[in-house]
Amino acid sequence: MARVAAAFALTGRRLAGIAVELWLPILLFAGWWFASRGSSSLYFVGLDTILGALRDDWLGQAGAANVLPSLRNLAEGFLLAAVVGVVLGTLLGLVRPLGNAVSPIVEFLRSVPGVALLPIGLLIFGIGTEMKVSLIVYGSLWPILLNTVDGVRSVDATKLDVLRSYRVPAHLRILRVVLPSAAPRIMVGLRTSLSIAITIIVFSEMIGSTEGIGYAILQAQRNFEIPQMWAGMLALGVIGYLLNIGFRGVEQLVLRRHRAMNTTPGS
Amino acid sequence: MTAAGALLRRAGARGGGAGGAKVLTVLGVLALWQLVSSTGALAADVIPAPAAIGVSLVEVLGGLEFWQALGLTLLSWAVGLLVSICLAVPVGLLLGASELGYRSCRFTIDFLRTIPPVALVPLALLLYGATTQMKLVLVVLGAVWPLLLQSMYGVHQVDLVARETARSYQLGRWLRTAFVILPSAAPYVFTGVRIAATMALLLTIGAEVIGGAPGLGAAMALAQIANDIPRLFALVAASAVLGVLINTLLARVERRALSWHVSQRPSR
Repeated sequence: MARVAAAFALTGRRLAGIAVELWLPILLFAGWWFASRGSSSLYFVGLDTILGALRDDWLGQAGAANVLPSLRNLAEGFLLAAVVGVVLGTLLGLVRPLGNAVSPIVEFLRSVPGVALLPIGLLIFGIGTEMKVSLIVYGSLWPILLNTVDGVRSVDATKLDVLRSYRVPAHLRILRVVLPSAAPRIMVGLRTSLSIAITIIVFSEMIGSTEGIGYAILQAQRNFEIPQMWAGMLALGVIGYLLNIGFRGVEQLVLRRHRAMNTTPGS
Repeated sequence: MTAAGALLRRAGARGGGAGGAKVLTVLGVLALWQLVSSTGALAADVIPAPAAIGVSLVEVLGGLEFWQALGLTLLSWAVGLLVSICLAVPVGLLLGASELGYRSCRFTIDFLRTIPPVALVPLALLLYGATTQMKLVLVVLGAVWPLLLQSMYGVHQVDLVARETARSYQLGRWLRTAFVILPSAAPYVFTGVRIAATMALLLTIGAEVIGGAPGLGAAMALAQIANDIPRLFALVAASAVLGVLINTLLARVERRALSWHVSQRPSR
């Protein structure tokens, strides 16, 4: 009996917790709904109209046609940046003189605002997938690279010396010890890069594209299809949020292994 | 002048060899680039040689319009950042001070901050056209979130013992805020300022490239349309230098302002 009561108390507390987290979003949504109902303003249309446009344009077939190209480019660019960033970062982190020597170049390249490269990207690749993917790679590379360098450099030097004196081969040293200890920092870099990548994909679609979310939103605005524009922005918010949640899941998975490895048995 | 001297001296003290290696690497990469360009492997109308970019850079820096564009970009960057700080830091500190406030807003802030600010470009263009207001709206919408989050975290991280001590000494709310909460939260707020500053620069230039609002970004778009490629590269390089300068300046301000804080003390 006591256990059942305890379980109920726990559920109650959890429900209260959820309520605390959700009352504001619900209130805001309701406020928006009622404030904009029957709105005659050209720009701030009613939320019911926006949701209607959301259903028509951003769910099902039409939505997939807009969203899928963006997601594909995003995934390609982000994964490429992750691989390049981690590999280069490990190299620059392990070979300290090399890392130090190229640091001014890295510092300069990283400070080039990603959007400033849009005109150059257009020049080199024209309008198309390559342009967008390479801009994403460029923009999201630096946080991953710099965090990997930091993470690799902070690996316990004694640990590395021990491995070296046991003649553990270099690839095992890197895969089994260096990268796992650098994992938390690398994840921080990846998280920063994800939001940069989302920004850049939308940006590049607004200028040099004939497909994708950014294109659809800007096009709606140019055609004065205001409900569609709002619906696109809303859809983008939801997608961004879902991507972040997905990333948090991956992060927890990776770091759980990390924590498990760093806890000595018995402690 | 003295600042440059101090920088040189510090670089020298850190080991002249490392500084030399850095300079050599930069020169080597530039030389290699020039060499590859002169063989014709890189089409000059796509990626110009560094010498051509350098000449164009000197030209750009000598012209009045560059400095006007830079001024406009910097103005919207600074005003946008200031407005964001004034809006977000007090609200963040207040929300962070109450557990209920923190948990109530977490979801909303998490959601709003994942919307890429560029998504709002069409709306801002619609409402304000290609103007400085348009840039400011975008900058503020992008820069408030890191500031808000960091301020909230900052208050959350205040040492419980310090807080209880202040309370048991009967310090009033204002004194507690001024002497316990604000100093403890300051480093977090500063981190937020640095993130927001980078974000604000990115958004300012982005709004200029896409929206055509006057500034560095618009100058880049113009150079691209005019097919003046060395000028385009020179402008991009100038904006990168601007980014480096802003970062260095903020890091220096942070070190000066928070010199009393543990995180800034040299480890012994």
